[in-house]
Amino acid sequence: MRTSHTRSLRRSLAGISTAALVVLSLAACGSDDGDGEGGEADGGPATADIRVWLNGADTPQAARDYLKTEFEKENPGSTLTIEEQQWEGLVERLTTTLSSKTETPDVVEIGNTQAATFAAAGAFSDLSDQLDELGGDDLLPGFVDAGSYEGKTYAVPYYAGGKYVFYRKDLFDKAGLAVPTTTQEFVDAAATLKEDNPKPANFSGFWFPGQDWRNAVTFVWNAGGEIATEDGGSWSGQLETAESQEGLQQVQDLMQQASGAAKDGNETDPQIPFCAGEVGMMSAPGWVNGLIEDAEAGCPELADKIGVFALPGSDGQPAPVLLGGSNIAVAKNSPNQDLADEAVAIMLSDGYQTILAENGLTPARTSLADLLGDDQFATATIAAASNAKLTPAAPGWAKVEGARILEDLFVEIANGGDVAELAKEADDAMEEQLNS
Amino acid sequence: MALVVTPEAPVVPLPEAPGGAPRRRRPRGLRGLTPYVLMVPALAALALALGYPLVRQVALSFQDFGLEQQFGAPAEQVGLDNYRALLADSYLWTLVFRTVAFCLVNAGLTLVIGLAIALLLRSMSRSVRLMVQSALLLAWAMPVISAVTVWEWLFDSQYGVVNWLLTRLGGDYQGHSWLIDPLSFFLVATLVVVWMSVPFVAFTLHAALLGVADDVVEAAEVDGAGAWQRLRHVLLPGIRPVLLVVALLQIVWDLRVFTQIYKLQGAGGVTRETNLLGTYIYRSGISEGEFGTAATAAIFMLALTVVLTAPYVVRMLREERES
Repeated sequence: MRTSHTRSLRRSLAGISTAALVVLSLAACGSDDGDGEGGEADGGPATADIRVWLNGADTPQAARDYLKTEFEKENPGSTLTIEEQQWEGLVERLTTTLSSKTETPDVVEIGNTQAATFAAAGAFSDLSDQLDELGGDDLLPGFVDAGSYEGKTYAVPYYAGGKYVFYRKDLFDKAGLAVPTTTQEFVDAAATLKEDNPKPANFSGFWFPGQDWRNAVTFVWNAGGEIATEDGGSWSGQLETAESQEGLQQVQDLMQQASGAAKDGNETDPQIPFCAGEVGMMSAPGWVNGLIEDAEAGCPELADKIGVFALPGSDGQPAPVLLGGSNIAVAKNSPNQDLADEAVAIMLSDGYQTILAENGLTPARTSLADLLGDDQFATATIAAASNAKLTPAAPGWAKVEGARILEDLFVEIANGGDVAELAKEADDAMEEQLNS
Repeated sequence: MALVVTPEAPVVPLPEAPGGAPRRRRPRGLRGLTPYVLMVPALAALALALGYPLVRQVALSFQDFGLEQQFGAPAEQVGLDNYRALLADSYLWTLVFRTVAFCLVNAGLTLVIGLAIALLLRSMSRSVRLMVQSALLLAWAMPVISAVTVWEWLFDSQYGVVNWLLTRLGGDYQGHSWLIDPLSFFLVATLVVVWMSVPFVAFTLHAALLGVADDVVEAAEVDGAGAWQRLRHVLLPGIRPVLLVVALLQIVWDLRVFTQIYKLQGAGGVTRETNLLGTYIYRSGISEGEFGTAATAAIFMLALTVVLTAPYVVRMLREERES
């Protein structure tokens, strides 16, 4: 939102010149604009400035450069501008800009858990007939479902990435710990690390800020619980069940006894406490490693002390982690539908997805997964993804995120609230959002 | 009114129009219209900027308007359903109480501190006054988001300077979260809001105090009035009209406070327990896509504003008539 004013000015100027171009080209073509270019009426002008919204620092710079260069090479006369958005508050920003014909970006990245709501609301263009060209059955199946509504696909997969555990090898050695193989061993290791490192006082055996519901749901699933389930078109919250509560209790123990993170903090920028030497273990997306290795933002001197493993479940297999990631969609209100489709095609191309894979992101096309490599990060990524789960496939799920119901729940859990009572409240609040 | 100039020059009789009555001056009706014509641009701007959203909002409050409608689906008319659902929701009444309490505490604190600073400014030497005024101006000129971000950092539970300082002084504030407890959350919010609004009150009241003649104050002093009596019986009555306007503005501003709360909620705290009407309307509308409900809550808030400010407006109008 930094430059919204200049941008809207520029946009309206661009709009005027585009309109002028359209009028001119229509006048020049006269009535015999039958075949040939075609689709100008609904596909948009032949050249334009395409605006692409990418969120956070997830997409590596090399991929951004590739997208811009390729697009401008393939579409002479057109330009592509990448506008980086914050993940925080994205639902709000999409709600307001996507509905405006003059302000809407042409292509947007949207969290995989948020895609269904916007697909159902009619915010995106139907991409079903391009699905085969973009990868078809090769695309991450759960993500295609997340971007589909009533049999049509509106948002295609962009990348995926389950979180895995980063740990400090030196601190493990000092405490005489081995890499945990079950959830119980993991919880014990977190407690041991915390005891073993009394200084600094905010040291975390396992760094677990209160708002971090995306990591917390893993423990609910691992204990056999669910977030919410559908029965006959109506959703009901499942956090009150005995299994879910067992998981929530485990979260409370970890947050209260093993974590020194803020009880109401959020999970953005985990590299800051990590680089400050305040973290023994943390569960973070793979690209955080890039931030740690970065000389300016991170602490390359700690990089060779980092080990990673997929969070173990109670049965010794990888625990069910929330499969994070993004979808990519074309805004229905964009006047440049054809050019926007071109940009999406590049983002799902071999070249682009290879760059994502090389940077630790699970590519949108399953056949490219080998490109992740075979170092410890790739092994952990693949192991974590093998048992990954998605948030409930409810059209209203983005509203649950918008209302910050789960953030509130886990902040209160971190603060020592009564688990049973809080689970009941959260279930009621979710049902209100999902069934309205 | 100064815009309507009446020509005082002697009226020169016009030559008689053939077959008509003598026309001595322009028709009265046209001249009477001038003030209204001059008001048209301002009224048009108001109608466009305030009238349209208001009409749209009232219309929205009678509709079931969700995310689908935002992207073009037809909206269903639901009559008073939104109002019924809202008034039956106990959360709304919690919010009303919370919002009004927050507003009154903040407006009260801002007025008291602002008045105190305005009085202090009177007795400062020129150079000190300039320094204080510059500091006030800087606080006033700081963009809200930047200001709240700085306050957030100051009160950060992990790396904040406030916790560091209190721990240094012997308190147990290591990792203490200032936002997790609603009362303490509103304490921080109050600090931010009051800090940002005091300069306006201080400047306005300082200007008003300059209008109170010095000899009246001196006369009171000679008559033996103490500092408190001079304030109560001379200075305050002298700036009463300004004080009323400032209080009115402050109440309206603090009632619809949004940015500070919304930004702080992102940094910590429990959203549901720290919502005020402003953030609730935004969240239910923009975040949850329930635009009908949000519009209804906004209408409710408008009514609340009118109720809270009506006594002031009535008083101001009465005093204007009397003077």
